[in-house]
Order: sequence, then C-alpha cells, then structure tokens
Amino acid sequence: MFAKHLKTVVMVATRSLDDKGWVIVGGYGLRLLRVVFLLSLWRVLLPETGEVSGMTRDAVLTYTLIAEVFAGQISVRTGLDNALWHGDIANRFLRPVGIYGQFIAEMFGTGLPNLVMFSLPLFCMAPLLGVDPLPEGGVAGGLFLCSLILGIAIGAAFDFIFASLMVLLEQNVYALMQIRDAISVLLSGAIIPLALMPWGIGNVLVYLPFASLASAPLRIYTGTGDPAFLIGLQAVWAIVLWPVAHRLWNANRERLVSHGG
Amino acid sequence: MNKPGRNATSAGDIAVKLSEVDKIFYQRQRSEKIQDVFKNLFRPNIREIRALQKVDLRIRRGEIVAYAGPNGAGKSTTVKLLSSVLAPTSGSVQCLGMNPMKDRVQYVKRIGVVFGQRTELWWDQPVAASFEWKRVVWEIPRARYDAMLGFVKDLLGIGEFFNSLARQLSLGQKMRADLALMLMHEPEILFLDEPTIGVDVLAKRNILDFIKNLNREKGVTVMITSHDMDELEQLAGRIVMIDKGRIAFDGDFRQLRRQFGDRRHLTIETASTSPPRISGVQFIGSKGNRHHFTFDAAQTPIPTLLAQVQTRIHDIETHRMPIDDVIADMYEHWDANREGVRE
Amino acid sequence: MNTLTKLIARWRVQAYLDFMWMTRDFRFFFINIVSDIILNLAGVAAVFLLAERFQGIGPWSRDQIVFLLGYAALVRGLLDMGFSYNVLHISRRIGRGQMDHLLVQPQPLWMGLLAEGFMPFSGSWSLIAGMGITAWAIHQLGMALTASWWLIFFCNLVASCAIVLAFSFAWGSLAFWAPVAAEEISSRAVNFMYQLKSFPLDGLSAFMLANMLTVLPVGFVAWYPCRQLLGIAPSHLWHTPLVAMVFSLIAWVAFKKGMQHYEQTGSQRYLGWGHRS
Repeated sequence: MFAKHLKTVVMVATRSLDDKGWVIVGGYGLRLLRVVFLLSLWRVLLPETGEVSGMTRDAVLTYTLIAEVFAGQISVRTGLDNALWHGDIANRFLRPVGIYGQFIAEMFGTGLPNLVMFSLPLFCMAPLLGVDPLPEGGVAGGLFLCSLILGIAIGAAFDFIFASLMVLLEQNVYALMQIRDAISVLLSGAIIPLALMPWGIGNVLVYLPFASLASAPLRIYTGTGDPAFLIGLQAVWAIVLWPVAHRLWNANRERLVSHGG
Repeated sequence: MNKPGRNATSAGDIAVKLSEVDKIFYQRQRSEKIQDVFKNLFRPNIREIRALQKVDLRIRRGEIVAYAGPNGAGKSTTVKLLSSVLAPTSGSVQCLGMNPMKDRVQYVKRIGVVFGQRTELWWDQPVAASFEWKRVVWEIPRARYDAMLGFVKDLLGIGEFFNSLARQLSLGQKMRADLALMLMHEPEILFLDEPTIGVDVLAKRNILDFIKNLNREKGVTVMITSHDMDELEQLAGRIVMIDKGRIAFDGDFRQLRRQFGDRRHLTIETASTSPPRISGVQFIGSKGNRHHFTFDAAQTPIPTLLAQVQTRIHDIETHRMPIDDVIADMYEHWDANREGVRE
Repeated sequence: MNTLTKLIARWRVQAYLDFMWMTRDFRFFFINIVSDIILNLAGVAAVFLLAERFQGIGPWSRDQIVFLLGYAALVRGLLDMGFSYNVLHISRRIGRGQMDHLLVQPQPLWMGLLAEGFMPFSGSWSLIAGMGITAWAIHQLGMALTASWWLIFFCNLVASCAIVLAFSFAWGSLAFWAPVAAEEISSRAVNFMYQLKSFPLDGLSAFMLANMLTVLPVGFVAWYPCRQLLGIAPSHLWHTPLVAMVFSLIAWVAFKKGMQHYEQTGSQRYLGWGHRS
C-alpha cells in the first residue's frame, strides 16, 4: 500500500547523496559549529547552578542540542514551496499518488539522510560537548515522540496553508518563504526557549501554533513543561489547522497548477 | 555587420577553424542500490566521455552551416567551444582570427550566441529593459543602437511585445526577442544552438526566413544546430554531421542523400489487393489496392521495377524520402556499425 | 572608457532595471519592503531579546549589543543591495550552469559580477533598517563621534562585507567540482555567517574563538570591529581590513581555479530558475 511512498522516500533520500561526499560533510561541519557556538553562549548567559525562568543551565543545553538533532523535524518542510518556486507543481498531479502523500514522502526522504548522517552522530557525541542528551525520563522520551509527530503534522499543515496563501496573494514565493522561515524559527522557540524571552512574551507565544513545532516537544523532552497541556494544545492546533489547509488547498488547486506549472 | 576594419584582424576567408580538437568529460556513475550509498559518495565510478575526437572543421565567411547529429553527438559542446564557454582538451579553436578563451572580451563583441533552451532576457523585466541593458554592457553607441533597434523590430516583429514582461512571452516571441537581442551589437558570426526548439511552425518559418535574409543581406556567417533536418535543408547549403564526437559527414544535402543511396518511396495502385512481387524493393504495406514500397533509385531504376509488375497498373507515385528519414537511416546505420564493431 | 566609468554605466543600468522591477505593481512593492524589513529584524531579534532579558551579554551592555546588531544589519543591507541575483550566493549560479551567461558578455568576469547584483531600490530596505538601528544605538550610547571614527567605521564596514562575500565565493567555488551537492553551499555558508554574526563571541573557548576568527571568520562580520569601535577591547582597527584582504585573496584563488576547471568541464546541467528573476 505504501510501496509508492516508500520508493519516493528512497529516491529523495538518495538524491541528496548524489554528489561529492566532502561537500555534505562540510555542510554538517558548519551545523556542528553552530551548535557548539550556541552551547557556549548559554554557558556565558546562565549560571551553572540554580534556575532561570524555571530552566536550569543543563536543561537549556539539552534543549539546544536536541533542537539541532531534530532540526529537520521541528522546522519541517514538505518541499511544496520549492515545487511552487521551481514551477513543477503540475507534474505532481500527473502521478498516481495523493498530493499530501507525495509531499509527506518527500519530506521524510529529505530528512532521512540528515537524521542518519548528522543527527545520530551529534546525539552520540553530546557528552563530549558537555551535554546530557537523554530525556528527562523514559515517559518523557515517549511523550516527546508523540509531541514531535504532532509537531510535524502541524508543520506540514502550515506548509499547505502557506503555499495556498502564496498563490492566493500571487506574491513573490521566495520572499514569502524567507519571511515564514524567519518568523517561525523565532516564534517556535527553536533558538531561544520561550521561557527565556523578556517581558513575559514567551507566556503568550506558547499558545500560538508556532510553539507546537519546536517549543512543545523540546520542553517535554527536557521536563520543563507539562506534557498533558502541551500535547493537548498541539492536538487542538492539528485539528484546527488541517481542515483549514485542506480547504484552502482545494479552493486554490486550479490556481496552484496554473501558477506553479 | 561586416564593418570595415574588422576583417583586417581575421585570418583571410576562414571564419571558424577547429584543428584536431578533442574534448573529454568525466561523468560520475551512481548505482541505485541503497547499500552503495557510501561508495557513491566517496569512491564513485567515473566514466570518461569523449565528446569530441580530432575534430577538424573550417567555416568560410558568409556561409550558413548546419551542424547536426544524434543526441549526445557533441553539437552543443562544439558551440560552447566556439562561444568561449569551454576550452578544448587538446587541439586549437580559432574564430575570426582569435582564440575564444584567451581573447574572450574582445571576441564576444563580434559573435552572437543563442541557446534554444536558455534566454538572455531579464525574466521579470519588460523586453525593452533587456535591450537597454545590452546597449550598456556591449557598449553600443546610441546612434547605432537606435538604427539596429529599428532594423530588428522590423525584421523580427518584436514591436508588438517590446514592452511586455519577458516571462509573459510565448516561446516563439521569446526566441524572436532573443535573436533580436543577440543582433544588437551586429555580430559577424552567429552560433545558434537549436534556436527553433519548441516553437510553432509559423514562428519557425519566420525565424528561418530571418536568418536567411540576414545572411544574404549582411553576409553574416551562421552555424546552426537542430534536430529538424527539413529546417536545416531549407536554410543551409552545407551540412556537417557529427556522431560520437567525430565528423561523420561534411558536404551538401545532395551529397548526403547520395551517400546513403537515392532512397525513394514508391506507391503503385493495381487492380488487385495483394501486392505485386518486385525484387530490389522493400515492401512497407498495402491499403486496399494501393501498395507502398521503398527502394534505392541509384541501384534499381524505376523502369526496371515497373517491368516486374505482372498485374495491370492504375496509378504510380514516386517521391524522394524526406531528409528526416534519410538521417534516421543514417543514425541507424551508424548504430549498427558500432554494434558490429563491439561484437 | 576607463574601468570606473564602465562600472558606473553598468550600475546605472542595473539601477534602472531594479527600479522598473520594483515598481511594476504596488502590492509587490509593498510586500518586498515589508519582507526585507521583517527578515532583517527577525535576524537580530533573537540576540536583542536575550540582551534585554539578561541586561546585556557578557561584557556588552544592552545598548552596545544594539550597536552590534545595527552594524550586523548594515553589513547584510550592503550585501543585499550590491550582490543580489545570486551573486552573493554564487554557488547557485555555478551549480545551475548559469556562468555561461556571464561568459558571453564582453566584459571581465569580475565586472559582470560586481554590476549584475546591484539593486539600489529593492535591495536597500535592510540597509535602511540597519541605519535606523545603528543611529538609535549611537544615540542611546551618547557617543561623541569624530570624522576619523566615521572613516574607520566605514573602512571596517566595507571590510566586513568583503569577508562575507569572500567566504561565500571561497566555499561557493566548490560548486565548480560538485554542482549538485554544492549548489546551495554559498547559501549555507552565508546563512551560517548571518545566523551567528550578531552574537557576541566573548564566551567562546580559545579554540572556538580561533576558529571563528580564522577558518570561519564570523567574528569579523560584526563582533570584532564593534568591540573596537565601542572601545570594549584594545583598538586594532586595521585587523578587519587586513583579514578582508587575506580572505579576498583566498576567494580569488579558489574562484580562479574553479573557473579554470569550468573552462575544461563546463556544466552538464542547466537550470533557469533564480537567474535574473
């Protein structure tokens, strides 16, 4: 039943491994340096002992490291925006596979090599960076996975909503993609835990759907948030956003093809 | 075009001179198996591709030369060598008395290049803006620019969409605009790599007429590649065929037909629905009492064929095979020869 | 015509093209401005929020951090204005086989690259945002500024831009050898610089700091020159221009080698997107 999707996952995953190995390794090197840098920054800002806004330094370090390990999953991209940008969306309608299924398969295919070649080694070498990579407990680890899956679902819904809006507004796809990336990275808590933001704005941002992408699963992982509340909120957003995505997508389907094709 | 003084720097009558040119590329080979991922990444198989092999070619000033061959034969590589984009692996490339790589800046002021699947137009700008950009970058004096603009607008009919955004043009319009843009600096030689790809028959005819006029009136040298042999036959007096990087034929279209025999199509209408038995022909098929054959007129004259027909003939038609069929036969013949060599 | 006159003529025509492009419809014009401003503010917001939350970072006060952010935004703004159309992200042009377009133009390659990315209208909004942030920080800090300070400031600013550009070209040259895998390598290198450019590097270990000032010169994009312009560290204001020269040389050698390779191999792929659009 899922053979078509699996084949697409494999095709996309191997596509990104199609060229010189050292280029890929170099890219991962840059990512590693970025993590090391962010970890250093937290060590400057936060005291070694005690808590700041309910987070210990160790929890923030774990939060930062895990955010990078699962970077592909917490800032999920289906590739829909690229299909629009490159103008090949029409081809997707010619394949005997559902549109959502195709893009979600591509999303997994894109994430897979990074997960194996970067995330796993980074997780294993965390102790060398002075970070405890393990979750707060076994239950927290399990709930984290549930939360991560919900986050991915919400991210995919965002992608479809955003793509539909881009077409509806007939605007510069590239510029809008950039804005969306910039805003969601900041508001999702992927770089700065929302609790560490000034003026209490984190308390507001936590209710926005962006927080469901990164902040919720990372707080569950580090044991700095209430799993029931966070997962409940994610479920609400998934239930709200998917029908919106579906409706917008269908309403704009014809324009999508003429725009992207 | 042919401005006084320009010819002084070129080597006599020859516009293009390729001598013993080799061009080798290396291509990574990848297996589709998951277990080969790391091998693909760090120790891939490399295949050597000889795109051109000992190519010798001369093109005289004012000639139109068709440059044809199957996919992957080396046509675009040759055009890129002559456009200062690529350097040969060995051998020498001379055009208008210059080395395209060494004298690039001066050289490209004297040539015009169009790649059929690419555009030099600024995509999100009106066509007019690209022309203004061209004027500045090619340093075309205003008076000459204005005169040329009038000339190309007349000849290519780009006035109607001159103020439209490039991305809104049809393929035919885009190609006309690209051709016009290419001509603005009055090049002495044009390299056209599949300039009619994807355009409709009317646009194609306009483009071909335009190239012929340009050659006739301004003496511009043209080298054109295409897969459309009818188009090339209409346009060029000379055809150079390339196959697997080697020049396989260089002559005119009549010679080309002769080399592969004078292939013709024969249709005989008889009283019977079964085809007549004729030796020296190849039977294609029958439709009612009309029977279709191909034959080589150089080997078997028509009267000899007709003398063999035993039944009453109602009507006869014979015509030369379209050039596309001749070329298809030629490619098939080349492939068969290669298979033979391998075996 | 001398070289400078030629370059100015090219910039003028690019300015004309940019103006035409930006004003083709008002909605597009508006979205373009808003997106650039949001992008730039989002780029500096994370550090600002941290500085506000912790009343500074390390030896930097909050207002000094704002100056650092302003300087970093100016660097980005200048690069956006001068090197758009994937000139800054050069590996895209190389990897997509678009260098051919430059090679058939009758001008040295460097001139084409220097001219084609100039977008003084649509690319200036980040620069304006950067000017606003810097002016606000200078006001808050109550700095008494002399002509020589401004001269040093501009020299360092240009040098910081040159370092980002050179870094992108040095990495981007890999696309000559690996056009598919390295197509986005300049973007990754530039994004790496942009993501970290606004952070103060004071807390890094000696090893990391050495890396950030040599192999990956993020420190010179804003942190190092700002430290000295603000008097946080001893004044070695010629360091950044010197590093810019070294990196420019490295980039020039890498790019030249890449072009030599390209002349031999060309590009076996061609993608039209992102080119002049």
